Amino acid sequence: MKVSLFITCVSDIVFADVGKNTVELLERLGCEVDFPAAQTCCGQPAYNSGYLSEAKKAMKQMIKAFKDSEYVVGPSGSCVGMLREYPNVLKGDPEWEQPAIDLANKSYEVTQFIVDVLGITDVGSTFEGRVTYHPSCHMTRILGVKEAPTKLLKNVKGIDFVELPVKEDCCGFGGTFAVKNADISGEMVKEKSRHVSETEAEYLVGGDMGCLMNIGGRMRREGKNVKVMHITEILNTHVKEQGGVTA
Amino acid sequence: MSIKISEAPYKERIGKGIDNDFMRQAVSSAQGRFRNGRLTQAEELGNWEDWRQLGEEIRSHTLENIDYYLYQLSEEVEKRGGNVFFAETAEEANTYIENVVKKKNAKKVVKTKSMVTEEIGLNKTLEEIGAEVVESDLGEWILQLDEDPPSHIVTPALHKNRQQIKNTFQDKKGYDKSDTPEELASFAREQLRQDFLTADVGITGCNFAIAESGSVTLVTNEGNAEMVTSLPDTQISVMGMERLVPTWEDMEVLVSLLTRAAVGQKLTSYITTITGTRLEEEIDGPDDYHLVIVDNGRSKILGTEFQSALHCIRCAACINVCPVYRHVGGHAYNSIYPGPIGAVLTPLLDGYEDHKELPYASSLCAACTEACPVKIPLHEQLIRHREIIVEEEKKSPASEKIMMKGFAQWASNPAAYKLSTKVARSALKPWTKEEYVENGPGPLKGWTDVRDFPAPGKQSFRSWWNKRQKGGEA
Amino acid sequence: MAIQNRDSFLSNLAANLGRPQRRESVSRPEYSVQPQHEVFKDYSAEELIGVLKEHCKVIHTDFVRTDKSDLQATLKRVLDGYEAASIIASNDKRNQEYGLDKAYEEFSKEVDVHIWDASLGKENQVIAERTDVGISFSDITLAESGTVALMTNKDNGRSISLMPKCYVAIIPKETIVPRMTQAAGKIHQDNEKGIAPPSSVCFVTGPSNSADIEMNLIVGVHGPVKVTYIVVD
Repeated sequence: MKVSLFITCVSDIVFADVGKNTVELLERLGCEVDFPAAQTCCGQPAYNSGYLSEAKKAMKQMIKAFKDSEYVVGPSGSCVGMLREYPNVLKGDPEWEQPAIDLANKSYEVTQFIVDVLGITDVGSTFEGRVTYHPSCHMTRILGVKEAPTKLLKNVKGIDFVELPVKEDCCGFGGTFAVKNADISGEMVKEKSRHVSETEAEYLVGGDMGCLMNIGGRMRREGKNVKVMHITEILNTHVKEQGGVTA
Repeated sequence: MSIKISEAPYKERIGKGIDNDFMRQAVSSAQGRFRNGRLTQAEELGNWEDWRQLGEEIRSHTLENIDYYLYQLSEEVEKRGGNVFFAETAEEANTYIENVVKKKNAKKVVKTKSMVTEEIGLNKTLEEIGAEVVESDLGEWILQLDEDPPSHIVTPALHKNRQQIKNTFQDKKGYDKSDTPEELASFAREQLRQDFLTADVGITGCNFAIAESGSVTLVTNEGNAEMVTSLPDTQISVMGMERLVPTWEDMEVLVSLLTRAAVGQKLTSYITTITGTRLEEEIDGPDDYHLVIVDNGRSKILGTEFQSALHCIRCAACINVCPVYRHVGGHAYNSIYPGPIGAVLTPLLDGYEDHKELPYASSLCAACTEACPVKIPLHEQLIRHREIIVEEEKKSPASEKIMMKGFAQWASNPAAYKLSTKVARSALKPWTKEEYVENGPGPLKGWTDVRDFPAPGKQSFRSWWNKRQKGGEA
Repeated sequence: MAIQNRDSFLSNLAANLGRPQRRESVSRPEYSVQPQHEVFKDYSAEELIGVLKEHCKVIHTDFVRTDKSDLQATLKRVLDGYEAASIIASNDKRNQEYGLDKAYEEFSKEVDVHIWDASLGKENQVIAERTDVGISFSDITLAESGTVALMTNKDNGRSISLMPKCYVAIIPKETIVPRMTQAAGKIHQDNEKGIAPPSSVCFVTGPSNSADIEMNLIVGVHGPVKVTYIVVD
């Protein structure tokens, strides 16, 4: 199956490993991955701030970049959720509405793609450690992906999975919200960090680097020794046939 | 009081909320209980999404035909001996009610909890003509004695603790017992019972007016609405024009949604439905009945992308799941309508000028949208507000505008974007220590005040990809 | 009676909706889902009583079941439990059918009994206010929520269930329906037939309560503090 990676700007610039793990994971599951280089940012920072015309410029660029793709798969519920919103944003635009619908229809968050399209719930990975999972708001409530990530995680060999208390609560990231309303955002992430501590997990896993960057940044400030990981990093940790664990 | 409750600037209100430990603790525990109650009820029904769908369809049909149903409502109220006054503004509503009270030469008015009378500032109007106005909902009574605005639309005194309530009762009413909720409530019962018995006029809000029979439904737990509608001979019900349903069957569905979503109850202790004046030979209930239907800015919302905000049934489910509300409390919104629905409604009813920050007081986590029993897309409406603030009202900060213009150029130009992936790391270098920024410049400052920011990696993803494609080191 | 300001108000609404004003020919659509009819759909009368009984625990209400022949004795026990020195009851046609007229006569030897009397006017309210226990019939009983629907009329004032410290609802078994859907449906259908609703329909679910002080549930605020339901076979 041919898959175009939608890396998301945050992972492209800050967290390249997320992209590497996503590519390797998808390849291991039998996909042929390409990377359309004309992709930029999905436009969400502008869209959520009310800058509609600025957001549309980014959106059109993304539509062009993925025009020829069969599937578009990205390691972020939030950014893929934005792609799925394009048809509403560009509704009534004679030139862009249909291409927006086409892109939305072929776009998937990576765990959603693995479970719903590839039909795989066990990716054959192995991971030792106590892990909790933060289901990001946009992944669950905007994109509607509620089960796929935990289904995959729970099938990882050796994992000690523990539920995060009040997991559905926002971590306080919210893109520009974290800057514009930094004080409120700060209180929210402090609370999330407390909940993570309550699980005594060694690893906090999530499917959106924005949220993980926020929670991880707070936990580091508090001197907490919890490692933050994108879900693809765990799913890409496996025992190669030749032996030896690789990540 | 009106919609706005103070003159304090936004940042100051937020700071005050965050610093109020008791309030935050109270809100947090209340939210937990409300949320569990709602989820338990939803789970018990098993098909909550169908209920929400039905709720939305009823509200949507009603609002699409609001003129028809208000016409029918007014006809039916008149048939049952009542008067109906359509008030386009708060002033018109207040003047009408004031005149009824004056004509009755009324000394004392008892009220049920009503957001719309808060909104139009009715109490002040009546007090100015010398009437004693008594709020009979326990929470509202506490706030009235303390001259404090509500911080929640269902439990208005959520922000107060028992010690504060005891002190208020002591100072204002000579209370001399303990601060246990039971003794405090029992004192309120004694005091308010006398008020019910001696009031000349009863004023209620309206949860749902039923067009087909000219009835008004009031949802309470304390039974105060029963008292207010049974004892005084003159009664005035005040409704926001959208608090309307076509029939009893629709009322029933919305009440079921309301009590579950609001307080996790199948029904509250009292669902009081009154129709017109008391009948021949009846003793309880008014012999003079008035229904006041208030627009006060609502009609401007009809026919716009915000129309579904008028579907709101005031259950506060959105408030009870909102993490922003949890940390700043109701007063920080500076509106009698706090939380997500408040952030949507307040600028619509009272303008953007005083409330332009509210639509941004949300991380757009969409917990509100998910909780809403009539499926109002609250977080999307907050984005619509932001669009209006930026593109029509032009009230966004200049620095932000410049940043967003830059964003558009960056995100629509692959070459510029690619360049940024190369230079991001070095651009942040002066502030980077051990791969993190702990004290960031400019817009990063707010971020790094509470958390560290990770430095961009040594190589971008796309540069790794390109090397890999060339067969180099992966 | 008057309706004021209606025309300008409603024409403004229609204008904002971008269409002419609607005065007629609006009918409710067939809603796409109707889950309210599914609740306890095929429950027998006994099963519904079971639901009602169970929910009484949640709403701080005592549940008693009896039959007509034993109603007087049962009611007596409930009143003794409340240490009632005075009672007020509706002047309901059903009093006779259920032998309550005789019961009240009997009770009046020991306690003050007032049967609602329209000819006494406001005096009824004054009596209700100082009386210990109010007693009336449920007209429709909602199993799901443990609710008695009280339709008031000249012989059955609202004060009876509201002013006394305790309230006892007599629930004829055949008044029990699954939920509010059936009660509202009945009133709606009556209304369509030209039978307008009473001046007050009060759906009472247990004693009054409040959680306005630190979210602590206080049972008994403005209305009754204690409530008993007597289901009569």
